[in-house]
Amino acid sequence: MGVIKVALPPNDTNLFTMAWGYLSTISSGMKKTLQIFFVQITGREKTNTLEWPEEPATYGERFKGKHFLTRREDGQVRCTACFLCATACPAQCIHIEAGEHPTNEVEKFPVRFEIDILRCVFCGFCEEACPVDAIRLGPEFAMVGGPGEKWVYTKDYLADRQELRGGVTSVKEENDKHFTTDKNPRGDDLIASDAPHMHSH
Amino acid sequence: MAEPTPTITFLMNDKELTVPKGMTVMEAAAKNGVYIPHFCWHPGLSIAGVCRFCMVKVEGRPKLEIACNLTPSPGMKVYTQIPEVKEAHKWALEFHLINHPLDCPICDQAGECKLQDFYMEVGKYKSQMERPKVLKPKALAIGDDLVLDTERCILCDRCVRFEGEVTKTGALGIFNRGDRAIVGTYPDRKITHNYQTNLVDICPVGAFTSKDFRFKQRVWFLKEQPAICPGCSTGCHVNVHGKPEVRTYFRVKPRESAVNGHWMCDKGRHTYKHLNQEVRLRFGIVSDGVKGSPRRRASFDEAIAALATKLASVDAAKDLALLVSPQYTNEEYKAFFEFFVKKLGVKKVFQWREPTEKIDEFDGLLYRGDHNPNTKGLSDALKAVGLSGDVKNGFGELAKGGNKLVIALAPEVAFQYPSLTAQLTSLSELDYVSLWTLNGDVFGMKGIAHAIPMKGYTEKKGTFLNYQGKVGELFAPFPSAVDDARDVTETVAALADVLTRAH
Repeated sequence: MGVIKVALPPNDTNLFTMAWGYLSTISSGMKKTLQIFFVQITGREKTNTLEWPEEPATYGERFKGKHFLTRREDGQVRCTACFLCATACPAQCIHIEAGEHPTNEVEKFPVRFEIDILRCVFCGFCEEACPVDAIRLGPEFAMVGGPGEKWVYTKDYLADRQELRGGVTSVKEENDKHFTTDKNPRGDDLIASDAPHMHSH
Repeated sequence: MAEPTPTITFLMNDKELTVPKGMTVMEAAAKNGVYIPHFCWHPGLSIAGVCRFCMVKVEGRPKLEIACNLTPSPGMKVYTQIPEVKEAHKWALEFHLINHPLDCPICDQAGECKLQDFYMEVGKYKSQMERPKVLKPKALAIGDDLVLDTERCILCDRCVRFEGEVTKTGALGIFNRGDRAIVGTYPDRKITHNYQTNLVDICPVGAFTSKDFRFKQRVWFLKEQPAICPGCSTGCHVNVHGKPEVRTYFRVKPRESAVNGHWMCDKGRHTYKHLNQEVRLRFGIVSDGVKGSPRRRASFDEAIAALATKLASVDAAKDLALLVSPQYTNEEYKAFFEFFVKKLGVKKVFQWREPTEKIDEFDGLLYRGDHNPNTKGLSDALKAVGLSGDVKNGFGELAKGGNKLVIALAPEVAFQYPSLTAQLTSLSELDYVSLWTLNGDVFGMKGIAHAIPMKGYTEKKGTFLNYQGKVGELFAPFPSAVDDARDVTETVAALADVLTRAH
């Protein structure tokens, strides 16, 4: 069994000694405050506080913030609508609708690619699951919207919003196939495909 | 007395198996639950032995042998799991993947692809090829419902054999040699028959894809459910693939059975479309029963109450007529006729059939001219309550009128009824029609005074009788895509309940 020793209040309870303790602490604190105040107001030292959002605040490149879709060198969205991000997503916030591409350059592309950003937990699994480096989590962290905001990021927004300054191009070094616009490589009109994506060979 | 079939006893993985003489090791393994990896072997087709993947070790023989073309001799010792065999699988797979484009992200087969499965099982190597892959034509529209990608093809020959042996159309062949070999159609010929999508099913990789299913959904999101195809009187056993959580179905695939073997027709593959919520009748329709009066949406209970009121106001034996299409289950017919014919004494029962149908037509494989799954069941049910079970379209007779109330069980598979719109229009000109249907179009038809939403064939339990009288069972229903939908049995029970409480 231990004994807890409780200190008794000082016998010489004296108004002046107690008040002195408080006053001395306050004055030394105020001294520091005023010192910084005058240093910063006269502009001798830069303040760390930002006038956000007028002044931009940035995180590092590797910060996992707002998603974006990358583009190929020809400007098409790189996403092939394979649904792996939607499969990996633990919050089930990615909605994709795949379709045949109207041009010959790709076969399958996302007609719709939507991220329900309020459900997103920013885990980055979509980025890891993507086999073609089409989705990345960018350094933007601020997501602002009015009361009518739907909080669903569409394909166009994800690929080409103002902050991306014209979009991000992802260059894959290998396995980028070369395509031809020849719809009928076998010279057989009957089976010439309306579907795109023929190889030159 | 029949001669007993001679049998042979041999050992597979040190386990004794007794099989009929002439059966191959592959079949014996499949029958006894031993899985031997394979691409080109298919139980419904002949043996080709081209993929060289089903290697097994036979004791005493210097090299591995292919199981699909190996008939066991008495006492033979076969091993399917030893390291030597697994090594053979691994390198056979590498050969198959030399020119395979790895289109998995854009390939519909991903998720049910044999190459993916075996790579995860025995492969997991890094490719040793330094040369670029051979490029071949892609996305060829070689059939009405087919897209062929010759790059993904591993030349297993299954499709060529299917065309030669099952449909006997012989439209496909393998052309060129070596790594330039491609599968394709002969010049100026195209696959047009009614069994094309079977090529998609038997293709172990994604060389054939179905235009109907192309890019709609990844297969790993789909749930599979056994059912009976309602497209014709053959009653093929099928699996319906859908996403019950979004109330949408995506495709129908054959399920192996004695009725349909391994195949089904393309018409039957479209029997999922009427089940999707967006085309269904999602609520009941009620009106005050006077011709031309405004109609409104109603819940199932309101619709039943309205029908019960109407039913109480007419003389069932004289003024009530029933119009029944042969697309409902035996159990539903039983409940329906027990109530209306036996209990209420209805005399006038007509069959709702397609006037242009040719019942006796048969294409020699599966598809029959009778486009209803349960013609026989309806006949039997009619006979059971003492009515004529003759197969006869009673639509014209009914449309003459003279009935104050008509209760009609509408056909479920609307695309098999080309005259359906005309038939519904003539029904809507009658005094008061209570239409029990899945078809969402009826809400647009002003003359339909009353409607009750029905469940589709994937959403109820029951049995169909096919043209031979064989029973096909619906036993594992999905939740209904429409909340207010009921099957006929439930509707009749609810109606009987309301009527008993009223009196």
